[in-house]
Amino acid sequence: MSTEYGIALGMIETRGLVPAIEAADAMTKAAEVRLVSREFVGGGYVTIMVRGETGAVNAAVRAGADACERVGDGLVAAHIIARPHKEVEPVLTIATKA
Amino acid sequence: MSTEYGIALGMIETRGLVPAIEAADAMTKAAEVRLISREFVGGGYVTIMVRGETGAVNAAVRAGADACERVGDGLVAAHIIARPHNEVEPVLEMGSSKGAMIR
Repeated sequence: MSTEYGIALGMIETRGLVPAIEAADAMTKAAEVRLVSREFVGGGYVTIMVRGETGAVNAAVRAGADACERVGDGLVAAHIIARPHKEVEPVLTIATKA
Repeated sequence: MSTEYGIALGMIETRGLVPAIEAADAMTKAAEVRLISREFVGGGYVTIMVRGETGAVNAAVRAGADACERVGDGLVAAHIIARPHNEVEPVLEMGSSKGAMIR
């Protein structure tokens, strides 16, 4: 998965689905990144994950966080991992399939 | 999907199902929009999504937000995306397949 899309991982977590979709839209418009998963965490939390080159993911996550901050109950977390450890990859894949 | 119903996407999120249904009713009555999904997000949040022409979606979302504000625990978010990025479309489809499909 990592080789296909670029290595870096970006994550945005929001309270509610609407800010999550706004963030996903802003992220894909801001830079060359791929949406890899949307996860209903429970308790109303929704997580969006993107992958791409580190610079692109950085730009995308910043744009996404800015965009969703003022929508609904807004942003919970925005985070970037430049190079997730191999051991972590299956966790992301499971997340995508669930 | 976007070509069938019009491009723009409107979303209303509420706390509880009753205001969500009130919003869905107000939206479809206010303008020519299609309900594409109803999503139980968890934690009592419910999201309603509509698609249609940008102007219609704008009018529908405003009407829906107004209508559900005073029902139950009310409105959490009302938002419009005039032209969602291609990459975002599967997320919306995921939503309709996983949650209850309306039409």
